[in-house]
Amino acid sequence: MTTGPILKIEDLRTYFYSRSKQAFNRAVDGVSLALKKGETLGIVGESGSGKSVTALSVMGLVTAEPGIITGNIGLKTNGVQKNLLQDIDDYVKLTRDNARSVAVAKDNPRWQRHVDKVMRGVRGKEISMIFQNPKVSMNPFSSVGRQIREAIMLNTSINNRKEARERALYWLEHVKIDSPRLRYDNNPYGLSGGMCQRVMIAMALSSEPSVLIADEPTTGLDATIQSKIVSLLGELKSTVGVTTLLISHDIDVIKTLSDRVAVMYGGKVLESGPSKEILSAGQHETHPYTAALLASIPTARQIREKSYLQAIKGDVIDTVNLPQGCRFYARCRQVTKQIKMQCKHQEPELREISHNHKVRCWLYFDE
Amino acid sequence: MKMNTTILEVQNLKKYYKPHGGIFSAFTGKENVIPAVDDVSFYIKEKETMGLVGETGCGKTTIGRTVLKLTPATAGKIIFDNTDITHLSAAQFRPLRKQLQMIFQDLDAALNPKMRIKAILKEALKVHRRLSDAEMDRRISELLEMVNLKKSKLSNFPNELSGGEKRRVGIARTLAVGARFIVADEPTSALDVSIQAQVVNLLRDLQKELSLSYLFISYDLRVVELISHKVAVMYLGQIVEMGMAGRIANAPRHPYTAVLWSSLVEKKSNESIKNAGNPNESQWGVFDFERPSTGCRFAPRCPVYHANGHPTICTDPATSPQLRKLDAAHQVRCHFPL
Repeated sequence: MTTGPILKIEDLRTYFYSRSKQAFNRAVDGVSLALKKGETLGIVGESGSGKSVTALSVMGLVTAEPGIITGNIGLKTNGVQKNLLQDIDDYVKLTRDNARSVAVAKDNPRWQRHVDKVMRGVRGKEISMIFQNPKVSMNPFSSVGRQIREAIMLNTSINNRKEARERALYWLEHVKIDSPRLRYDNNPYGLSGGMCQRVMIAMALSSEPSVLIADEPTTGLDATIQSKIVSLLGELKSTVGVTTLLISHDIDVIKTLSDRVAVMYGGKVLESGPSKEILSAGQHETHPYTAALLASIPTARQIREKSYLQAIKGDVIDTVNLPQGCRFYARCRQVTKQIKMQCKHQEPELREISHNHKVRCWLYFDE
Repeated sequence: MKMNTTILEVQNLKKYYKPHGGIFSAFTGKENVIPAVDDVSFYIKEKETMGLVGETGCGKTTIGRTVLKLTPATAGKIIFDNTDITHLSAAQFRPLRKQLQMIFQDLDAALNPKMRIKAILKEALKVHRRLSDAEMDRRISELLEMVNLKKSKLSNFPNELSGGEKRRVGIARTLAVGARFIVADEPTSALDVSIQAQVVNLLRDLQKELSLSYLFISYDLRVVELISHKVAVMYLGQIVEMGMAGRIANAPRHPYTAVLWSSLVEKKSNESIKNAGNPNESQWGVFDFERPSTGCRFAPRCPVYHANGHPTICTDPATSPQLRKLDAAHQVRCHFPL
């Protein structure tokens, strides 16, 4: 067993240039995460908080024209350390002024080629991904079995069709698809949403990746199907033991499945730590944002008494015009008089408040 | 609770869709219909919210659309405010149309991307009433205040707004014409929890202020339970259980309702019902509308049916279960209610 994290993201910044606004949309703005072997790290946050862009950056899929990406993404597998963003500075240069990026120079076609070269043998093989919309993510003209077989022959040592087919059936069975031999020849549109998601999971696992990224695996499914997929993922966690980066806006899903959690807001991690500690409402000290997020979920008592929900006032932060101070300041309810000026003008650091539990908030600075 | 007059009554509503048969079915002469809504009856009183829950494809949205005459009903009666509107022509229905409005599910498709917010609201005002410009402006600022939207947003295009703001514009538009009955089709499904809470609070405030009645369609069971006075649970085009919200949520009598509620991830502790769930997974989520199983439509997935050793009463078409009253306010369609 290796020590140290398998996947280590350091100071990842992914920006998109908005021509109409003549400014950067700082979708991911300095995110650091570490993923240890066998654990599940959850990322929660509202839409627009940069969860998915973080995942896409790791997969090297943010190469579209206006995308800019800096930082380090270290991947350690079989004792080999790789930086997925190595030499990125040769192609993309950011000029900083006052810690804010102001200008960019980049060489797009060469960058694209470079990323493809680095990611070859990593994407799909070392890191595989489950996308949000299973039906759109599959080829509608090919049977699901063939698509899994293709992935197996491409990404594993199996290069015999028959063997690959058996392997594909093994994985279909593993994700609890009924009568996999029949389903093997089905095209994606012949399957329901829940089954498609199972096939996606089978496909992602079939290459036996070191890291699995699941981007909103339950969103858009019915409540009954959702809970089935959640329990399947929970089972796979114990049987296959794959290291997972789980992204969801559904706090219940993250709480059930992940060991540690990172709460993101406006492109930054506001809080990270053990998920049981952070996501059990009102029992531990948490970031005001996390507390507000948890409070806005209807509780059994609120439903019974038909009381009002505690909404977070205002809207999700606009990552183009970021404020100078804390990103959550405008919506925060726990700003006190003493720290108000700091909150407004100075961004707090991510600081450890108890074992492994880090919070980015002035409330927890004692000075 | 104070009882008010019934604002909307639906009797034996049916909506059958005919799939495109192609050339082959013309020869076989077989008429295949999809019973999207099959014999549904309910009523909604003034200032009341009825929640409609069920899985994708069970016919929730179809009910909403049929009730508002956005799509014609195959059979049955829709009575709004003591007027039978089922067979009214478009011209006859126009004066009533402003009282019956819908909040659409798809935020982006519901707002014209090439119109500014002000124009969108103005259009809604213009259609039903003739107002002077000054009056129009006053009414618009009134609407904005009602839905807590900033005035600066009026000059924006829909794509410049966030999800919560778009939803507010959608709500403002239904209020602009003076709606009394609103079908809210998944108004919170595309929103984050924090914004969802804002919208739910807003809808409840508006109900109190303007005495609105809602038909609230959603698959988010918690929100439905919170906002609704009564709840109807649908399965494959039929209402399988209907009653007061608290009763349906805490003491469900139909096995399907129990399965649906237990599927909330949060309530995972309720293992007993969960484990009773159907072992035959392939049945889940795969519905064959064209050939509903004979008798009870839920039987193939039903834990009670399997636990009782597959009684024939459940699958015999002659004894398919009817919606029957358990008490004054609770109806269930099951031979073996829990």
